[in-house]
Amino acid sequence: MVELLLDPKIRLWVFLPIVVITFLVGIVRHYVSIILSSQKKIELIQVQDSQVMIRARLLRENGKYLPRQSFAMRRHWFNNEETGYFKVQKRPSNAQNPMTDPGMMTDMLKGNVTNVLPMIVIGGWINWMFSGFLTTKVPFPLTLRFKPMLQRGVELAYLDASWVSSASWYFLNVFGLRTIYALVLGENNAADQSKVMQEQMSGAAMAMPPDPKAAFKAEWEALEITEHRWALVTAEADLLLQNNVS
Amino acid sequence: MSVSLKANDNKPEPIAYSEAALRNNAIVVEYCRTSMSALSGSTAGVLGLTSLNGFAFYMFAVIILWVMFMIKAGPNWPKYYVSRQSILTNGFFGGLFTYVLFWTFIYGMVHVY
Repeated sequence: MVELLLDPKIRLWVFLPIVVITFLVGIVRHYVSIILSSQKKIELIQVQDSQVMIRARLLRENGKYLPRQSFAMRRHWFNNEETGYFKVQKRPSNAQNPMTDPGMMTDMLKGNVTNVLPMIVIGGWINWMFSGFLTTKVPFPLTLRFKPMLQRGVELAYLDASWVSSASWYFLNVFGLRTIYALVLGENNAADQSKVMQEQMSGAAMAMPPDPKAAFKAEWEALEITEHRWALVTAEADLLLQNNVS
Repeated sequence: MSVSLKANDNKPEPIAYSEAALRNNAIVVEYCRTSMSALSGSTAGVLGLTSLNGFAFYMFAVIILWVMFMIKAGPNWPKYYVSRQSILTNGFFGGLFTYVLFWTFIYGMVHVY
């Protein structure tokens, strides 16, 4: 395979700018999404539900450190047939259509504005501005299958597969800089474009709010079958044994 | 006396880990791994390593980082991590992607043109 000779100006005006543009656009996206994001309103009753669920789970897991009567008392408060919390509380099933909620619609629109729009605009601009350059060569041999992935925009049948075109270099940067964003901006940043792509592919961009009724029923069942086994039965014997040793 | 008592005691001592502290440790390890991938990728690019040499260099860097973690944690590493192997293997491929990107970038800057 004959070595190609690339103009050093391509390095300065194509190769380096693509990296810098991709990185800085990610940073700008992060801060724009912070500006646009609205504080999620939390309803009091949702907080109450989640706290009750946490309490029930703690009782299930750590109830062995309570005396039997205390455990039974707490479980009775949750699970009693007439007055138990899980039995009395009737929550409406809020599996409503998100399209009817105007607040959620605005959120979706904002997500699209900050995520999808820059990806189309910047990707298209890079394709138009830097089209048709071979920018670099990956330092390891690749098979011919990688040619359409790495040489988008440059259709040369006899070119070695390890050369990378400018458009493909942009996409490599989009996917590869994700961990760098995590390093620079912290976890859960909004700069990550590849996450958006995954969400669009799976088609589940929005998580349904959990149904409290079903959650209550599951927790009630779990608590009902929990068997109380006191962990501190041998506490006195252990203490006396330790005293004997020392 | 106390040694024999421990030998008699068949039940292993239950160890309680703090979930938040574990998560924080994992995040710190992830940061170190990303930095290590970027730095070692740049190094490989400057040195002009190609094909298998470059991947061997990545393995070398991962193992060096692991050894550094172990030296830093010292003999009482169970205080900080649940298992030693998971630090070696977690995030291996994510780090590899960052490594390859930086390797390609610096190699292109220095050696291709």
